[in-house]
Amino acid sequence: MCGIVGYVGERRAEEVLLDGLKRLEYRGYDSAGVAIGASGLRVFKDKGEISKLDASVPRWGGHIGIGHTRWATCGKPSQRNAHPFLDCSGRIALVHNGIIENYLALKKTLVDEGHTFTSETDTEVLVHLLEKHYRGDIHAALVATLKEVKGTYAVVAMAEGEDRLVAARKENPLVVGLGVGENLLASDVTAVLSYTNNVLYVMDGETAVVTKDRATVYDASGAVVERPPTAVTWSVEDAERGGFEHYMLKEIFEQPTAIHNSLLGHLDEIYSGAVLPDMDVASVKLVACGTSYHAAMVGKYILESLAQVPTTVELASEYRYSPGTGESPLTVLVTQSGETADTLAAAREARRRGCRTLAVTNVVGSTIARETDDVFYTNAGPEIGVAATKTYTTQLMAMYLLGLRLGTMRNALDRAQARCLTSELRAIPRAVSSVLDHASEVEEAVDMLVPARDIFFLGRNINYPTMLEGALKLKEISYIHAEGYAAGELKHGPLALLDSSTPVVAACVMDHTREKMLGNISEVAARDAPVLSVGTEGDNELAAISDAVLSIPKVSPILSPVPLTVVMQLIAYYTAKKKGCPIDKPRNLAKSVTVE
Amino acid sequence: MKAVILAAGEGTRLRPFTMSRPKGMIPVGNRPILEYVVEALVKNGIKDIIMVVGYRKDTIMLHFQDGKRFGASIEYVVQEKPLGTAHALALAADRLGDDDFLTVAGDNLINARLVTDLLERHDGMSITVTESENPSKYGVVKVEGDRIVEMVEKPDWKMGNIINTGIYYFPHGMLEHFRGRSFTAERGITQVLAPMVKEVRMTAVKTKGKWIDAVYPWDLLNVNAQALDSQGQGVRGTVEPGTVLKGPVFVGAGTRIRSGCHIEGPVNIGEGCDIGPNVVILPSTSIGNGVQIDSFTHISHCLIMSNAVIGSHSHLSRSVIGDGVRARAGTFAASDSCYVRVERELFKLSDVGALIGQDTRVGARVVITPGTVIGAGCRIEDGAQVSGYLDNKSIVV
Repeated sequence: MCGIVGYVGERRAEEVLLDGLKRLEYRGYDSAGVAIGASGLRVFKDKGEISKLDASVPRWGGHIGIGHTRWATCGKPSQRNAHPFLDCSGRIALVHNGIIENYLALKKTLVDEGHTFTSETDTEVLVHLLEKHYRGDIHAALVATLKEVKGTYAVVAMAEGEDRLVAARKENPLVVGLGVGENLLASDVTAVLSYTNNVLYVMDGETAVVTKDRATVYDASGAVVERPPTAVTWSVEDAERGGFEHYMLKEIFEQPTAIHNSLLGHLDEIYSGAVLPDMDVASVKLVACGTSYHAAMVGKYILESLAQVPTTVELASEYRYSPGTGESPLTVLVTQSGETADTLAAAREARRRGCRTLAVTNVVGSTIARETDDVFYTNAGPEIGVAATKTYTTQLMAMYLLGLRLGTMRNALDRAQARCLTSELRAIPRAVSSVLDHASEVEEAVDMLVPARDIFFLGRNINYPTMLEGALKLKEISYIHAEGYAAGELKHGPLALLDSSTPVVAACVMDHTREKMLGNISEVAARDAPVLSVGTEGDNELAAISDAVLSIPKVSPILSPVPLTVVMQLIAYYTAKKKGCPIDKPRNLAKSVTVE
Repeated sequence: MKAVILAAGEGTRLRPFTMSRPKGMIPVGNRPILEYVVEALVKNGIKDIIMVVGYRKDTIMLHFQDGKRFGASIEYVVQEKPLGTAHALALAADRLGDDDFLTVAGDNLINARLVTDLLERHDGMSITVTESENPSKYGVVKVEGDRIVEMVEKPDWKMGNIINTGIYYFPHGMLEHFRGRSFTAERGITQVLAPMVKEVRMTAVKTKGKWIDAVYPWDLLNVNAQALDSQGQGVRGTVEPGTVLKGPVFVGAGTRIRSGCHIEGPVNIGEGCDIGPNVVILPSTSIGNGVQIDSFTHISHCLIMSNAVIGSHSHLSRSVIGDGVRARAGTFAASDSCYVRVERELFKLSDVGALIGQDTRVGARVVITPGTVIGAGCRIEDGAQVSGYLDNKSIVV
């Protein structure tokens, strides 16, 4: 996806375009550019985020222009491949969202005719076609160009000396924002809402001519389309992010509610079949990818401790190709989206092997729900940030509920123990809230991590996978190389890598591994590595051997991964924020991975 | 017509219950106070709402988001520093367009009637007023006919009992007195308006609508009771046989009321709670989400917030229990008349139990003297007897 904006009016076009591009950044973010009409056409484009462009774009003071933010599909992200494109004469500029299917053939013809291409993109053929057809009327040239083109597009173009923008749409969104003495064009209403609430939607096959005083839409036959403008009633101000700077932060803060919702109804019904019908379970296999895999690893500790059921964990992409052993464990497939290609394939493989299957997913009606015998929905609500947060902690809830259910079913857990645990689980949203109440302490503590090139995350037992997740979160959004390690493995390798420039984040809660963890932390500190510890509140001994310490409320050791994970999320978030990384849209990553 | 809701302040006098949320987000009748304010506006057809937020704005924004769930369209304006309501209004000015608008305090319990009265009877700049038994805590107005002739903030002499509720009808032109001012110290809307009463006609609109304020923690008990009064009944969770429900009792989804409980409404119990067996809950009590109340416990006229755990054989009357408080078996907080000292002020209260801040842990067999305020995150050891005012994170052995 890409985002486009156009402006013609009295304001300084650069400012309007940059503001619009910032609001469209969610559509793509690897490169961006603007073209401004100010005594000739001037273009500035660069790789990276809009904020980078904002800082470096020259203010020419034009009043007409077009802008673009790109997410590469054809041609690498680079300055060369960024939009807008100019024709050979530098008199026509164009931005495009979509795919030109016949660009190779068109390009060959245009090159033969003497046009010079400067990029690897499909888009560039459009601007050369415009040049070819241009006879002093950019709209006529656009209409002629589109006749030669196969594919999908939203395009906006301008020509030197013409005080108007022209646009066309086919299967890509485009709206005209109607202001007073100014008009805008954009991929999405969010980009125009700061200037006007009146918009005109351009439909497939239509073209538009926009001057500062009027906007005219033409249908494919060239007739004028009379369409009343639509008034947009919602406001631009961060409605969706609820005022938070990033979706990720909002979603981190939504966790007490998400966790409450994921537990709702289930704590009351651990003895009935709400999570899983009555059955004989001799062993369990948890299968997942990415963050869900870490939830599954925590799940192994939970199931083994609550239900005393032998449990294995496998990556979906490995499980598919592994040899079956002839056993048929209860196979639990954990996928936030329910669409992860590898996990879906694993579900099919599990059924082929004759295993009973249970899906743990957040999306009702997703594919995985149709591929498995039973489904547990985590009810976390929509998650938009690419880094999984609330979908992860609610997956942990699924693991606790499954552990309670299997534990009582297998008589591994007596009713008194089960009641103690449900009582504690019921209060776990509060433990998360109290971590969130101290978010500013995390923000301060991460200063020691920001300059690092490598960071180690250490934990033991159930919090070993928690630290793997902590390392993954940090990698994903802050681009710092981070590795999660079982603290006991330290002396078998990583200790050699530690020095004063390699900080260590250590989880050390009050459980049966605390003494050993304290020992490990001392080993690390002895190598001069700065240590940020996360422990149970009031643990002075831990504070004494750490450079900085963050705490979680007192909860049962088996529940400690929940508040601890939230601390890890905040560590990743604030580190990335201080490094200025694009938190909701880390480079090269997508939310739901539907390729294998 | 648009409305500005002023919700940026903390409400420090309500500590410890504002530790992690502003006053407007304190739940009464199991919904934040602010929700009643939004509802009162929406019922009067005012759907475009600008909320000025500041202290713990995340809690407000997460709850209301864009307002769609409440039938409104909510925009947020952030007041970074506590510079008062006049500054807050100035911040919202650019979003207000050219129409008249309402300004509403976000931390009082109001109903739709109050807004209707103001909309019907406004005449120029208008202020909703009400009678108060305790006018010295508020802005007091002197009225001739329906014209306000004098306004004094928290007067230390007797000047009548008619107080400003902080709910205003603003003709658009009045905004000029706020816009573009520079604000360096905290400044209230009344401080801007008071000097103008002679030149500008300001109308007092008396209302029969509901306006209830909580200034101190114990005031929450009354606000909670009033909020519960207007609520319906229904059972979404499970009520086991042998339980008696009388009057308006609401039981949220996923909550289990075990056998032998006796519950007399108005009582509102949230989602995912586990109550009983044999628990007595008397009016007017609200219980948040994920609360556990063990057997043989007696609760009357309490506000219990989410994720609290109350052990068996406990007694709580006229008490406010914060989020995540864990009270072990035999916690006694019986109410009675008492004196409470908060900072330098001494209050004589007619009937109050305990006021316990979030995450505090109370041991077994603890006796809490009436009117005791316990801060957030305290630890009270088994068998202790506590009284007075305990700061956050106090430990009582």
